Amino acid sequence: MADRRALKSWRDLWQHRTRSLLVVLAVALGLTAAGTILNAWALVERATDQGFRASQPVSATLVLDRADAQALALARTQPDIASARLRRSLGASVLANGRARNAVVVALDDFARDDIARLQAESPAWPPGDAGLWMERSSLDFSGASVGEPVSLRLAGASESQTVDIAGLVRDVGLAPGWMENLVYLYGSEAALARLGAPAGFNELQLRVRNGGATRAEVRHSATALQARLEAAGFTVKSIDVPEPGQHIHAAQMDSLLMTQGAFGVMALVACGFLVINLVSAMLAGQVREIAVMKVLGGSPRQIGAMALTQAGALGLLACAIALPAALWLGRTYGGLKAELLNFTLDGIATPAWSILLQLAVGLALPVAAAALPVRAALRRPVGEALRDIGITREGEALNLRRGALAARLVPLLGGWARPLLLSVGNAMRRRQRMVLTVLALASGGAVFLGAANLRSAVRGSVDELFGAQRYQLQLRLAMPAPAARLEGLAVEVPGIAQAQAWRNLRTTLAGEPLTLLGVPADGLLAPRLIEGRWLDGGTGAQLVVTRLLQKHLPALVVGSTHRFADRDWTVIGLVDGGPQALAYAPRAALDAVAGNDLASSLVLRLERPESTMALLDAVRQLREAFTEAGHPVAGSQSQAENRRVVEDHLLMVVDFLGGMGVVMIAVGAMGLASTMGLAVLERRREIGVLRAIGAGDGAILAMVQAEGLTLVVLSWVVSLPLSLPLSALLEVAFGRIMFSVPWRLVPGPGVVLGWLGLMTVISLLACTLPARRALRVPVSRALAYA
Amino acid sequence: MQTSSPVIRLRGVGKSYPAAGGDFHSLSDLDLDIDPGEFVAVIGPSGSGKSTLLNLLAGIDRAGSGELSVAGQDLRVLPERALSRWRGRAVGVVFQFFQLLPTLTALENVMLPMDFCDQWPAAERAARALALLERLGVADQADKFPSALSGGQQQRVALARALANAPSLLLADEPTGNLDSANAEAMLTLLAGLAREQGVTVVMVTHEAAALSQVQRSLRLRDGRLVEDRRHG
Repeated sequence: MADRRALKSWRDLWQHRTRSLLVVLAVALGLTAAGTILNAWALVERATDQGFRASQPVSATLVLDRADAQALALARTQPDIASARLRRSLGASVLANGRARNAVVVALDDFARDDIARLQAESPAWPPGDAGLWMERSSLDFSGASVGEPVSLRLAGASESQTVDIAGLVRDVGLAPGWMENLVYLYGSEAALARLGAPAGFNELQLRVRNGGATRAEVRHSATALQARLEAAGFTVKSIDVPEPGQHIHAAQMDSLLMTQGAFGVMALVACGFLVINLVSAMLAGQVREIAVMKVLGGSPRQIGAMALTQAGALGLLACAIALPAALWLGRTYGGLKAELLNFTLDGIATPAWSILLQLAVGLALPVAAAALPVRAALRRPVGEALRDIGITREGEALNLRRGALAARLVPLLGGWARPLLLSVGNAMRRRQRMVLTVLALASGGAVFLGAANLRSAVRGSVDELFGAQRYQLQLRLAMPAPAARLEGLAVEVPGIAQAQAWRNLRTTLAGEPLTLLGVPADGLLAPRLIEGRWLDGGTGAQLVVTRLLQKHLPALVVGSTHRFADRDWTVIGLVDGGPQALAYAPRAALDAVAGNDLASSLVLRLERPESTMALLDAVRQLREAFTEAGHPVAGSQSQAENRRVVEDHLLMVVDFLGGMGVVMIAVGAMGLASTMGLAVLERRREIGVLRAIGAGDGAILAMVQAEGLTLVVLSWVVSLPLSLPLSALLEVAFGRIMFSVPWRLVPGPGVVLGWLGLMTVISLLACTLPARRALRVPVSRALAYA
Repeated sequence: MQTSSPVIRLRGVGKSYPAAGGDFHSLSDLDLDIDPGEFVAVIGPSGSGKSTLLNLLAGIDRAGSGELSVAGQDLRVLPERALSRWRGRAVGVVFQFFQLLPTLTALENVMLPMDFCDQWPAAERAARALALLERLGVADQADKFPSALSGGQQQRVALARALANAPSLLLADEPTGNLDSANAEAMLTLLAGLAREQGVTVVMVTHEAAALSQVQRSLRLRDGRLVEDRRHG
């Protein structure tokens, strides 16, 4: 036969199975939330190691006037360069299954190389032959194309579209996913591109430095040395791009995102810890006398403590049995989503054992650690005092005296309900520590909920602001630059077009960082929110208005500063909120002056019926026809509505996850409330018996229990409001670091605040139902018995 | 029965509790010796200090003043952990409301003190517990949970549990207070037999006048003081 101590522990758990189940669920919930994040993070880390870093990513890309075997040989003979390859990339537009998308077509000198930015074929017949193009897999769904089927493709600058087969799929882990970038990536041989009308040869030289641990500055040093040798050999180096070594283009955002979410996972665990403390206290409260009897029978505090902690550990083990598989599945699902954002796959990657073991350790330790304090308190209680415990305590006596005085004043005003109501309010405050833990658990869930709502509102506000500043509905990208006035004239002749503006852009570098300038008319269809300085004044001067995100990348671009590039001195005159865009606006005339012509490459158009989708589609069709007829073929078109949807989808996905964390914490808080109320009813069994003996009916007892729960809920609601302010700020700062700065929304709207109160009220009514029913089931005679 | 070394020795023992109107003196300046094998009843009105005395003897409460030696142990110097272990081995306690652990069967309740104190080999505990239940006439109830037992049966199981570690001192707080007269009589007979036949010192708090016919000695308390110490035939 098993030791009686183990038997008793197990049977006690079974006897209080509702409460045991609550502990298991609470720990399982918190562990699932935190474990999901941990597993996802571990999987993404592994995928990054096995995917991106193992692909031998490019250290630097040099854009040349021409890149040929001589340039390649120069690179390969430089001692600090491990490998190099030639590349050409061209803008294009793709039409497949009625979807027109912008595209980038890439040609490489050797697709089979595995020592630099290795491509992984996902279809047979690799590498690409001279017929057909291969598509980067992340672009497939977004493009509407299918493998083995033709698409219509038009290279930038080409006058006509051509039909080309999609021969297979390839994964390029060095790229951000096509669906995220709104781009279709295509790969083909030099001959295949030439057949589509691309210029012959290559124009980019990509290299990987020998030192795998080289810093960005060291890589730039190597690239600059190569630049000097290339220029000495007669090549012209137009630009050098050096990405952060060893880091995927979205890796920093992913890390920040997972860290932020990990912090919420930990918060959920802490909230669960509060709940477990309450629940274990509840269990021990029902066993005060049993503990004393065991002490009388010779049980030492260590022995009895071990029994209680074993119980807690057993519950933790059960919670692990639920949480670990759930976190494993959810972590893989969520990690898969994250990996997809990085253009990786989790296929063949297993969740590391250390992650599972860590969760197991936390799952076991959390209830044991949470139980340790109440167990210690219960064991330190003198035996005599515990044996004399008759369920009526002196706790809250002072408060009750004050309440009595208050009731005396309120009864004449509120009638007979004032005294029971005040009794409930007082009861809620009787066990201060328990009240604080319950309120904190609920309030922290509420604060996350409100914080997520604020962030959602801030993100929506930011997107509103971004798209509100764009007073056009359609953008056209031309295959070849053309005179701006001619393009605008052609566009406004198309029925349904109210206004047209030609824009041009200039790509350059500043302090080694790429910089995009957008040349726009001053009184145009663009009016972003000004943060500092002023907007473009219509002159032709070398003025810049920079977006906040660009300033984050290039902090020197402060209002009033002057910078030299493109052979001119440019003055920053304003700072605007450009959402996720890192660029600078300049007068179109200033860019015309730099280029020495008035050619424009894109058009923005305001429609006469902006709300009509049919009008938009009709306008696109007619514009394409009119421009092609006039000899200015359109390379691509994009509606602002579609742009907005893509931007919002990606941003709100992050916010929704935070909202999900808030829901987990609210669920934990609700369980905490249920346990606290269950405990309150259990401890005051005798008091309830007395109340019933002196005439309190079922309705009055029910109302009192519910009022006590509501008191805790209202307190939590009140605490959650100020708590949500710093949390919202924290979330918005974190979001700003991960994505882009959003306008601060620290105070939730009245609808959200009242909705939260309503939700809490429903939670309270549900959470108190079981304890209230239990209070009614207590027979007066049993409640009053001193056994 | 007289020996030179009393199993209980109290000198000037006092105990008070904080109360709303100032400290309440439950016991004052109590001197007492009880010898091994004596069956002693502690009697007196409510609030006279009977249960307080029993709690002090069991080490459940600590004396506020005076010297207190029980079963050869000075209880003033014993820390809580050692007190539990000492109590488990040297003292058996029977409560008025039985206080059987509801999630253990009768047999398991009796075995639990043996598990705590480890005085008996694990393999022998079940047989010993069963033998105790047999002696007290409730062996057929061994596998039942307390809720399935009558009051008299519960008190017999509680007595068996108190005897599990073969203590030299048995303390009983109103052991017949919750029993009918037949069961109460039987319980008193059992306690008297323990003292007489096995030399166990039994100290029993009681309100029952009938109990005095079975005991060897009675101590009457009033307002926390010993007002009568009487030996019975």
